[in-house]
Amino acid sequence: MADIGEVPRPRIATGHLAQHIGQPVCFVGRVEKIHPTGKLFVLSDGEGKHTTVELSEPLDEEISGVLEVVGRVTNQATIMCMSYVQFREDKSPFDLELYNEALKIIHEFPEYFPFG
Amino acid sequence: QRIRSQNIVPCTVSQLLAAEQVDETFRIRDVEISQVTIMGIIRHAEKAPTNILYKVDDMTAAPMDVRQWVDTDEAGGENVVVPPGTYVKVAGHLRSFQNKKSLVAFKIMPLENMNEFTTHILEIVNAHMILRKNLTSASRLPQSFSSAGIGDVGGYGGGGSLPVNGLTAHQSQVLNLIKNCSVPEGMSLQELKLQLHNMSMSTIKQAVEFLSSEGHIYSTVDDDHYKSTDAE
Repeated sequence: MADIGEVPRPRIATGHLAQHIGQPVCFVGRVEKIHPTGKLFVLSDGEGKHTTVELSEPLDEEISGVLEVVGRVTNQATIMCMSYVQFREDKSPFDLELYNEALKIIHEFPEYFPFG
Repeated sequence: QRIRSQNIVPCTVSQLLAAEQVDETFRIRDVEISQVTIMGIIRHAEKAPTNILYKVDDMTAAPMDVRQWVDTDEAGGENVVVPPGTYVKVAGHLRSFQNKKSLVAFKIMPLENMNEFTTHILEIVNAHMILRKNLTSASRLPQSFSSAGIGDVGGYGGGGSLPVNGLTAHQSQVLNLIKNCSVPEGMSLQELKLQLHNMSMSTIKQAVEFLSSEGHIYSTVDDDHYKSTDAE
Protein backbone atom coordinates (compact mmCIF):
# COMPACT_ATOMS: atom_id res chain seq x y z
CA MET A 1 0.00 0.00 0.00
CA ALA A 2 1.40 3.40 -0.99
CA ASP A 3 2.52 5.62 1.84
CA ILE A 4 -0.55 7.61 2.82
CA GLY A 5 1.68 10.60 3.57
CA GLU A 6 2.49 11.00 -0.12
CA VAL A 7 -1.06 11.41 -1.41
CA PRO A 8 -3.64 14.18 -1.01
CA ARG A 9 -5.64 13.83 2.23
CA PRO A 10 -8.76 16.00 2.08
CA ARG A 11 -9.61 17.81 5.30
CA ILE A 12 -13.03 16.65 6.42
CA ALA A 13 -15.53 16.86 9.25
CA THR A 14 -17.72 14.04 10.57
CA GLY A 15 -20.45 14.85 8.05
CA HIS A 16 -18.09 14.10 5.14
CA LEU A 17 -17.06 10.61 6.23
CA ALA A 18 -19.72 8.83 4.16
CA GLN A 19 -18.46 10.48 0.94
CA HIS A 20 -14.88 9.35 1.58
CA ILE A 21 -15.23 5.64 2.36
CA GLY A 22 -11.97 3.88 1.51
CA GLN A 23 -10.11 7.15 0.98
CA PRO A 24 -7.25 8.86 2.80
CA VAL A 25 -8.41 11.87 4.82
CA CYS A 26 -7.26 14.35 7.42
CA PHE A 27 -9.54 14.89 10.41
CA VAL A 28 -9.13 17.46 13.15
CA GLY A 29 -11.14 17.08 16.34
CA ARG A 30 -11.19 17.24 20.12
CA VAL A 31 -10.59 14.10 22.18
CA GLU A 32 -13.86 13.06 23.86
CA LYS A 33 -13.11 9.57 25.09
CA ILE A 34 -10.49 6.88 24.85
CA HIS A 35 -11.30 3.17 24.94
CA PRO A 36 -9.58 1.26 27.80
CA THR A 37 -7.74 -0.91 25.27
CA GLY A 38 -6.15 2.21 23.83
CA LYS A 39 -6.99 1.03 20.32
CA LEU A 40 -9.95 3.28 19.82
CA PHE A 41 -10.82 6.88 20.62
CA VAL A 42 -13.57 9.35 19.82
CA LEU A 43 -13.05 12.88 18.49
CA SER A 44 -15.65 15.60 18.12
CA ASP A 45 -15.53 18.03 15.19
CA GLY A 46 -16.34 21.74 15.14
CA GLU A 47 -20.06 20.98 15.08
CA GLY A 48 -19.80 18.63 18.03
CA LYS A 49 -20.34 15.52 15.87
CA HIS A 50 -18.37 12.45 16.85
CA THR A 51 -15.97 10.37 14.79
CA THR A 52 -14.43 7.10 15.94
CA VAL A 53 -10.74 6.62 15.28
CA GLU A 54 -9.16 3.18 15.34
CA LEU A 55 -5.52 2.27 15.75
CA SER A 56 -3.64 -0.84 14.66
CA GLU A 57 -1.43 -0.58 17.75
CA PRO A 58 -2.67 0.68 21.14
CA LEU A 59 -1.79 4.24 22.13
CA ASP A 60 1.56 4.49 23.89
CA GLU A 61 0.92 7.95 25.32
CA GLU A 62 -1.80 10.10 26.86
CA ILE A 63 -3.76 12.08 24.32
CA SER A 64 -5.99 15.06 24.99
CA GLY A 65 -7.13 18.32 23.43
CA VAL A 66 -7.19 18.78 19.67
CA LEU A 67 -5.77 16.07 17.46
CA GLU A 68 -5.12 16.04 13.71
CA VAL A 69 -5.51 12.48 12.46
CA VAL A 70 -4.39 11.17 9.07
CA GLY A 71 -5.94 7.88 8.04
CA ARG A 72 -8.29 5.98 5.78
CA VAL A 73 -12.06 5.92 6.14
CA THR A 74 -13.35 2.40 6.81
CA ASN A 75 -16.61 0.87 5.52
CA GLN A 76 -18.10 1.56 8.93
CA ALA A 77 -17.29 5.28 8.49
CA THR A 78 -14.66 5.21 11.18
CA ILE A 79 -11.09 6.33 10.54
CA MET A 80 -8.23 3.83 10.58
CA CYS A 81 -5.48 6.08 11.89
CA MET A 82 -2.03 6.03 10.29
CA SER A 83 -0.58 8.99 12.19
CA TYR A 84 -1.70 11.83 14.42
CA VAL A 85 -0.36 15.04 15.89
CA GLN A 86 -1.58 17.06 18.79
CA PHE A 87 -2.27 20.76 18.03
CA ARG A 88 -0.41 22.94 20.47
CA GLU A 89 -2.68 24.94 22.72
CA ASP A 90 -0.07 26.10 25.25
CA LYS A 91 -0.30 29.73 24.09
CA SER A 92 -3.85 29.90 22.69
CA PRO A 93 -6.80 27.51 22.56
CA PHE A 94 -7.63 26.21 19.11
CA ASP A 95 -10.94 27.44 17.73
CA LEU A 96 -12.40 24.23 16.35
CA GLU A 97 -15.66 25.88 15.36
CA LEU A 98 -13.79 28.40 13.19
CA TYR A 99 -11.80 25.56 11.64
CA ASN A 100 -15.10 23.90 10.79
CA GLU A 101 -16.25 27.08 9.04
CA ALA A 102 -13.00 27.10 7.06
CA LEU A 103 -13.69 23.49 6.03
CA LYS A 104 -17.05 24.55 4.66
CA ILE A 105 -15.32 27.21 2.57
CA ILE A 106 -12.70 24.87 1.13
CA HIS A 107 -15.36 22.31 0.32
CA GLU A 108 -17.40 24.99 -1.41
CA PHE A 109 -14.41 26.31 -3.38
CA PRO A 110 -12.23 23.30 -4.24
CA GLU A 111 -10.87 25.23 -7.24
CA TYR A 112 -9.12 27.62 -4.84
CA PHE A 113 -7.98 24.94 -2.36
CA PRO A 114 -7.34 21.79 -4.37
CA PHE A 115 -6.48 18.45 -2.83
CA GLY A 116 -4.29 16.81 -5.43
CA GLN B 1 0.35 40.18 -21.71
CA ARG B 2 2.29 39.78 -18.51
CA ILE B 3 0.42 40.10 -15.29
CA ARG B 4 2.63 40.00 -12.25
CA SER B 5 1.56 39.58 -8.68
CA GLN B 6 3.64 42.03 -6.67
CA ASN B 7 2.70 40.40 -3.46
CA ILE B 8 3.53 37.30 -1.54
CA VAL B 9 0.81 34.76 -2.29
CA PRO B 10 -0.41 32.15 0.21
CA CYS B 11 -0.69 28.79 -1.55
CA THR B 12 -1.27 25.12 -1.03
CA VAL B 13 1.47 22.70 -2.02
CA SER B 14 -0.93 21.33 -4.63
CA GLN B 15 -1.25 24.78 -6.23
CA LEU B 16 2.52 25.16 -6.36
CA LEU B 17 2.92 21.74 -7.95
CA ALA B 18 0.29 22.65 -10.55
CA ALA B 19 1.82 26.06 -11.35
CA GLU B 20 2.89 26.32 -14.97
CA GLN B 21 6.44 27.20 -15.71
CA VAL B 22 7.34 29.41 -18.67
CA ASP B 23 11.11 29.98 -18.90
CA GLU B 24 12.12 31.38 -15.54
CA THR B 25 8.64 32.29 -14.31
CA PHE B 26 5.75 30.44 -12.73
CA ARG B 27 2.08 31.13 -13.23
CA ILE B 28 -1.03 30.21 -11.32
CA ARG B 29 -4.08 31.15 -13.37
CA ASP B 30 -1.89 33.23 -15.68
CA VAL B 31 -0.63 35.40 -12.86
CA GLU B 32 3.12 35.30 -12.34
CA ILE B 33 3.99 34.22 -8.85
CA SER B 34 7.32 34.10 -7.20
CA GLN B 35 7.15 34.72 -3.48
CA VAL B 36 4.74 32.41 -1.74
CA THR B 37 3.82 31.24 1.73
CA ILE B 38 2.78 27.74 2.69
CA MET B 39 1.85 26.24 6.07
CA GLY B 40 2.34 22.65 6.96
CA ILE B 41 3.93 20.15 9.25
CA ILE B 42 7.59 19.20 9.01
CA ARG B 43 7.86 15.54 8.16
CA HIS B 44 11.58 15.38 7.68
CA ALA B 45 14.60 17.60 8.35
CA GLU B 46 18.09 17.04 7.06
CA LYS B 47 21.00 19.28 7.90
CA ALA B 48 23.86 19.69 5.41
CA PRO B 49 26.87 22.03 5.72
CA THR B 50 25.33 24.79 3.60
CA ASN B 51 21.60 24.19 3.91
CA ILE B 52 18.78 22.50 5.77
CA LEU B 53 16.35 20.48 3.68
CA TYR B 54 12.85 20.09 5.08
CA LYS B 55 9.86 18.22 3.78
CA VAL B 56 6.73 20.23 4.58
CA ASP B 57 3.31 18.58 4.39
CA ASP B 58 0.01 20.48 4.17
CA MET B 59 -2.12 17.43 3.24
CA THR B 60 -2.98 18.75 -0.23
CA ALA B 61 -0.27 16.66 -1.95
CA ALA B 62 2.99 14.91 -1.15
CA PRO B 63 5.27 16.91 1.18
CA MET B 64 7.23 19.68 -0.53
CA ASP B 65 10.99 20.11 -0.43
CA VAL B 66 11.89 23.33 1.33
CA ARG B 67 15.50 24.40 1.37
CA GLN B 68 16.87 26.95 3.79
CA TRP B 69 20.40 28.19 3.14
CA VAL B 70 22.60 28.30 6.19
CA ASP B 71 24.81 31.28 6.92
CA THR B 72 28.15 29.48 7.18
CA ASP B 73 29.85 32.49 8.79
CA GLU B 74 27.57 32.30 11.74
CA ALA B 75 28.46 29.90 14.53
CA GLY B 76 25.24 28.06 15.33
CA GLY B 77 22.24 30.01 16.68
CA GLU B 78 20.80 31.47 13.51
CA ASN B 79 19.82 28.30 11.74
CA VAL B 80 18.51 25.84 14.27
CA VAL B 81 16.83 22.84 12.69
CA VAL B 82 13.08 22.84 13.31
CA PRO B 83 12.11 19.34 14.47
CA PRO B 84 9.75 17.07 12.52
CA GLY B 85 6.21 17.16 13.89
CA THR B 86 6.25 20.97 14.11
CA TYR B 87 3.71 23.07 12.21
CA VAL B 88 5.46 25.92 10.40
CA LYS B 89 4.83 28.88 8.16
CA VAL B 90 7.26 29.04 5.26
CA ALA B 91 7.88 32.14 3.15
CA GLY B 92 10.02 31.58 0.09
CA HIS B 93 10.54 31.49 -3.65
CA LEU B 94 9.23 28.77 -5.91
CA ARG B 95 11.87 26.92 -7.86
CA SER B 96 11.94 24.05 -10.32
CA PHE B 97 14.91 21.82 -11.09
CA GLN B 98 14.69 18.85 -13.45
CA ASN B 99 10.93 19.15 -13.35
CA LYS B 100 10.76 18.93 -9.60
CA LYS B 101 9.36 21.87 -7.71
CA SER B 102 10.72 23.09 -4.42
CA LEU B 103 10.85 26.19 -2.27
CA VAL B 104 13.85 28.20 -1.23
CA ALA B 105 12.79 29.64 2.11
CA PHE B 106 13.79 33.04 3.42
CA LYS B 107 11.76 32.48 6.54
CA ILE B 108 10.58 29.42 8.45
CA MET B 109 8.59 30.09 11.61
CA PRO B 110 7.05 27.51 13.93
CA LEU B 111 3.38 28.27 14.55
CA GLU B 112 2.69 29.16 18.13
CA ASN B 113 -1.02 29.61 17.62
CA MET B 114 -2.73 26.98 15.50
CA ASN B 115 -5.56 29.38 14.72
CA GLU B 116 -3.07 30.97 12.30
CA PHE B 117 -3.39 27.78 10.33
CA THR B 118 -7.14 28.23 10.01
CA THR B 119 -6.56 31.84 8.91
CA HIS B 120 -4.03 30.69 6.32
CA ILE B 121 -6.61 28.32 4.80
CA LEU B 122 -9.05 31.21 4.43
CA GLU B 123 -6.34 33.53 3.06
CA ILE B 124 -5.47 31.01 0.37
CA VAL B 125 -9.05 30.82 -0.87
CA ASN B 126 -9.37 34.61 -0.70
CA ALA B 127 -6.09 35.33 -2.50
CA HIS B 128 -6.69 32.89 -5.33
CA MET B 129 -10.25 34.04 -5.76
CA ILE B 130 -9.02 37.64 -6.09
CA LEU B 131 -6.24 36.63 -8.50
CA ARG B 132 -8.87 34.98 -10.69
CA LYS B 133 -11.21 37.98 -10.42
CA ASN B 134 -8.44 40.48 -11.24
CA LEU B 135 -7.42 38.44 -14.23
CA THR B 136 -10.87 38.55 -15.78
CA SER B 137 -11.44 42.25 -15.04
CA ALA B 138 -7.90 43.29 -16.00
CA SER B 139 -8.37 41.92 -19.50
CA ARG B 140 -11.16 44.45 -20.05
CA LEU B 141 -9.13 47.47 -18.93
CA PRO B 142 -6.52 48.41 -21.54
CA GLN B 143 -8.36 50.75 -23.96
CA SER B 144 -10.87 52.08 -21.49
CA PHE B 145 -10.76 55.67 -20.23
CA SER B 146 -13.21 55.02 -17.45
CA SER B 147 -11.85 55.04 -13.95
CA ALA B 148 -14.79 53.22 -12.47
CA GLY B 149 -13.85 49.82 -11.11
CA ILE B 150 -10.11 50.45 -11.34
CA GLY B 151 -10.05 50.84 -7.60
CA ASP B 152 -11.25 47.24 -7.29
CA VAL B 153 -8.36 45.78 -9.24
CA GLY B 154 -5.38 44.47 -7.32
CA GLY B 155 -6.81 45.13 -3.89
CA TYR B 156 -5.03 42.15 -2.36
CA GLY B 157 -2.02 42.98 -0.24
CA GLY B 158 -2.64 46.70 -0.44
CA GLY B 159 0.42 47.05 -2.61
CA GLY B 160 -1.21 48.58 -5.66
CA SER B 161 -2.81 47.59 -8.90
CA LEU B 162 -1.80 44.58 -10.92
CA PRO B 163 -0.08 45.95 -13.99
CA VAL B 164 -1.47 45.17 -17.45
CA ASN B 165 0.98 45.20 -20.38
CA GLY B 166 3.58 46.16 -17.78
CA LEU B 167 1.65 49.40 -17.14
CA THR B 168 -0.63 50.25 -14.24
CA ALA B 169 -4.12 51.54 -14.91
CA HIS B 170 -3.03 55.18 -14.35
CA GLN B 171 -0.10 54.86 -16.72
CA SER B 172 -2.30 53.26 -19.37
CA GLN B 173 -4.84 56.06 -19.19
CA VAL B 174 -2.16 58.76 -19.52
CA LEU B 175 -0.51 56.95 -22.41
CA ASN B 176 -3.77 56.49 -24.27
CA LEU B 177 -4.60 60.21 -24.04
CA ILE B 178 -1.13 61.16 -25.30
CA LYS B 179 -1.35 58.63 -28.15
CA ASN B 180 -4.66 60.02 -29.30
CA CYS B 181 -3.49 63.63 -29.31
CA SER B 182 -2.92 64.88 -32.86
CA VAL B 183 -1.54 68.35 -32.01
CA PRO B 184 2.08 68.76 -33.30
CA GLU B 185 3.58 69.79 -29.95
CA GLY B 186 1.81 66.89 -28.25
CA MET B 187 -0.23 66.80 -25.06
CA SER B 188 0.48 69.11 -22.16
CA LEU B 189 0.37 68.17 -18.48
CA GLN B 190 -2.35 70.77 -17.98
CA GLU B 191 -4.45 69.17 -20.72
CA LEU B 192 -3.94 65.74 -19.10
CA LYS B 193 -5.08 67.13 -15.74
CA LEU B 194 -8.22 68.57 -17.37
CA GLN B 195 -9.13 65.24 -18.93
CA LEU B 196 -8.23 63.06 -15.97
CA HIS B 197 -10.38 64.59 -13.25
CA ASN B 198 -9.70 61.89 -10.68
CA MET B 199 -5.93 61.95 -10.97
CA SER B 200 -3.80 64.38 -9.02
CA MET B 201 -1.09 66.34 -10.84
CA SER B 202 1.60 64.45 -8.95
CA THR B 203 0.13 61.10 -10.05
CA ILE B 204 0.04 62.34 -13.63
CA LYS B 205 3.64 63.54 -13.41
CA GLN B 206 4.74 60.19 -11.98
CA ALA B 207 3.02 58.38 -14.81
CA VAL B 208 4.58 60.68 -17.41
CA GLU B 209 8.02 60.18 -15.88
CA PHE B 210 7.64 56.42 -16.00
CA LEU B 211 6.28 56.34 -19.54
CA SER B 212 9.07 58.62 -20.69
CA SER B 213 11.81 56.53 -19.07
CA GLU B 214 10.31 53.40 -20.67
CA GLY B 215 10.34 55.05 -24.07
CA HIS B 216 6.57 55.18 -24.64
CA ILE B 217 6.54 59.00 -24.86
CA TYR B 218 9.01 61.83 -25.43
CA SER B 219 8.98 65.51 -24.54
CA THR B 220 8.61 68.04 -27.36
CA VAL B 221 8.70 71.85 -26.97
CA ASP B 222 9.33 71.62 -23.21
CA ASP B 223 9.03 69.24 -20.24
CA ASP B 224 5.31 69.88 -20.08
CA HIS B 225 4.49 68.55 -23.56
CA TYR B 226 4.66 64.94 -24.68
CA LYS B 227 4.03 62.84 -27.76
CA SER B 228 3.79 59.08 -28.12
CA THR B 229 6.69 57.19 -29.72
CA ASP B 230 4.16 54.87 -31.42
CA ALA B 231 3.79 56.12 -35.00
CA GLU B 232 0.03 56.62 -35.52
